[in-house]
Amino acid sequence: MKTTAQPQAGSAGANAGASQAAGLDLNETVLKVSQVSKEYKLYPSPRARLRALVTGKATHRSHWALRDVSFELRRGQCIGVVGDNGAGKSSLLKLLAGTLQPSTGTIERVGRVTAILELGAGFHPDFSGRDNLYFGGSLIGIDHDEMARLEPEIIEFCELGEALDRPVKTYSSGMAVRLAFALVTAVQPDVLIIDEALAVGDQHFQKKCIERIMAFRNNGCTILFCSHSPYHIRHLCDAAIWLKAGHVEQFGDTEPVLAAYDLHTRERQAKEQQALEAAQQPVAAPAAGETPFAQDAEVDPAVAADPPQPVAAVDGGAACLLSVEVKDLGEPEGSQPAVLHSMDLVVTITARGRGDERPHIGFMIEQSKGVGITSLATHEDGAVPRQLPDGTWQSVLTFPDLPLHSGDYVISAFLFDETGLAVYDEWFQFKHFRFIFPKPLPGLVRLPHHWA
Amino acid sequence: MQTLLNECRAVFSARALVWVLTRREVAARHAGTAVGILWPYLQPLLTVAAYYLVFDIVFSMRLQDGGVPHAVGTFLVVGALPWMAFCDAVSRGMNSLIEAGGMLQKNPLPPVLFTTRAVLASCVIYGPILALVALAYTPLHGFKLPVVGLLPLMAGQLLLSVLLGYLLAILAAALRDTVQIVGFLLSVGIYLTPILFPLSMFPEAWRWVLWLNPMTALVIGYQQVLLQGAWPPAAVWMVLGVWLAVLALALNVVVRRSRDQLVDWL
Repeated sequence: MKTTAQPQAGSAGANAGASQAAGLDLNETVLKVSQVSKEYKLYPSPRARLRALVTGKATHRSHWALRDVSFELRRGQCIGVVGDNGAGKSSLLKLLAGTLQPSTGTIERVGRVTAILELGAGFHPDFSGRDNLYFGGSLIGIDHDEMARLEPEIIEFCELGEALDRPVKTYSSGMAVRLAFALVTAVQPDVLIIDEALAVGDQHFQKKCIERIMAFRNNGCTILFCSHSPYHIRHLCDAAIWLKAGHVEQFGDTEPVLAAYDLHTRERQAKEQQALEAAQQPVAAPAAGETPFAQDAEVDPAVAADPPQPVAAVDGGAACLLSVEVKDLGEPEGSQPAVLHSMDLVVTITARGRGDERPHIGFMIEQSKGVGITSLATHEDGAVPRQLPDGTWQSVLTFPDLPLHSGDYVISAFLFDETGLAVYDEWFQFKHFRFIFPKPLPGLVRLPHHWA
Repeated sequence: MQTLLNECRAVFSARALVWVLTRREVAARHAGTAVGILWPYLQPLLTVAAYYLVFDIVFSMRLQDGGVPHAVGTFLVVGALPWMAFCDAVSRGMNSLIEAGGMLQKNPLPPVLFTTRAVLASCVIYGPILALVALAYTPLHGFKLPVVGLLPLMAGQLLLSVLLGYLLAILAAALRDTVQIVGFLLSVGIYLTPILFPLSMFPEAWRWVLWLNPMTALVIGYQQVLLQGAWPPAAVWMVLGVWLAVLALALNVVVRRSRDQLVDWL
């Protein structure tokens, strides 16, 4: 049985050489968080809040969003922050940015700290873009003279042109965000704090944002990056923090932390699913062992998530996935997923690129209910999609003698830009299929092996 | 008082930003109007002119204050203009934090800057008008030496407005009803200040109520200086000093208690 060992997409080592800042001490600590806790005082009513303010008596319940968080970041490091909703990610970022004060503990910062928390807030709608630019600059410590020097570059970056002299209320939301991003990143910071901001604007601008952030990183800027996208964290960050219920559950190399967090997420989802099923059909209890697929009977994997509507191959619009075809796949029957009538899995992914740029294509396969199996991408494997005569890009991914056991699987397809950083399009878990391995052995994958 | 000193230091070290914020606040008040920057000045000026026209030209009313006769309109303007400045500064100061909530949640700036700018924006408008009125009263005070007393009076009023505005802004952040209550107090306050009538015309048994109004001392001071060119009595300075000290102490406590949660309330 042949099995090709594919590298997992985005190993942490891929970024090792990225932060080579000339002349900067990479061991310098730029951010030191020691024993920081943040307490939110919850009062039963605003009246109680006023009474506490006047009398000084404590009538509140305490909610500790963060407890005893300590870590240090050195110059040029890029840290990803992961955690469930309510784990304290936003509070941590706000504390680091300085908009919130810690209840106990200290935060030491070196140099300029820039936070991209919510772009475009604070613009006055009646004033022109240029006026707001100068005012916004003074809020983040750029005085009038310096702004006059930076202005041409900002205008070039945000591509607003003449619109800059119109009131901000006439801007589209994308224009305001572009101006705000260009403003806050006009000066290279020592620490950059990003909260999910990579998903702003159109594809073209998103790519520019990522390029600018990467340039900061290469110049020795420390980046703290909070995202729900493990893909971006894997690609950008060389360390990760997992926050759980207000404390640091793990802090270290990206891959082990993300793996542990991924496991936690899946366990939690499984628990939620069980709770949901228990609530829906308390006496269902499928006959275990009857068929290998008994466990999947209650859900309906076949008709989940239709792929987006097909788009024409050559309209000049945005880059997107056009089609994903699986060879020898039968028709789904009722609530059962389509059966793969072949021992090979051959997936043909066709996408429309952006301009002359050669995009990259990614692919992921997971159990329909359960764990991820593998994710692959052309840029990780040193492969390139080939361009068809009509200008679209195509990759054919073949898993010869698919080394999986019988079961239901789900596939996802992704379209990346040339650098593999911006995600142009994704069809996430869009097709379920059933694979039947003729030998009735239990298991998930068939690993490369030999008997002696 | 350490907390309050820190706040003062924060304002001082960000003074360039405070000035930018102040200019913008003044500009924002007339954004999109034809007359522009003149509007904030025109409104109080027209009110003052109306008092003068109605009481002194049309009705020619007179009143007696301790044996000194005054034209009613002339008397009224000296008290009403500082009172208008006080109301404007305090109510803008009180709303300053709530209005700046979005900006404070996105930018690491000390909240005190926003109260300071609201009061300063008011000062930038009423200060020159008061100076103009002082000039117009030259026939009454004749630029005698006590006229320099106008400067400490105006400085005292500015300080009083900042302290009271910031205190009310924090209370308003904790409980929004503060805005309504203070709005009512400011609208009846003009009757509890010797603006429409001199202090000597209030019933003697109730005069102490007037001293509970922080503006009483200042208004008496302005009247002495501008109407007679005389030094304000010592009681004016003492009461003003007590008010400033009490407000500073209260503010110190309230700032310390709310420091790490103020932005969450906005």
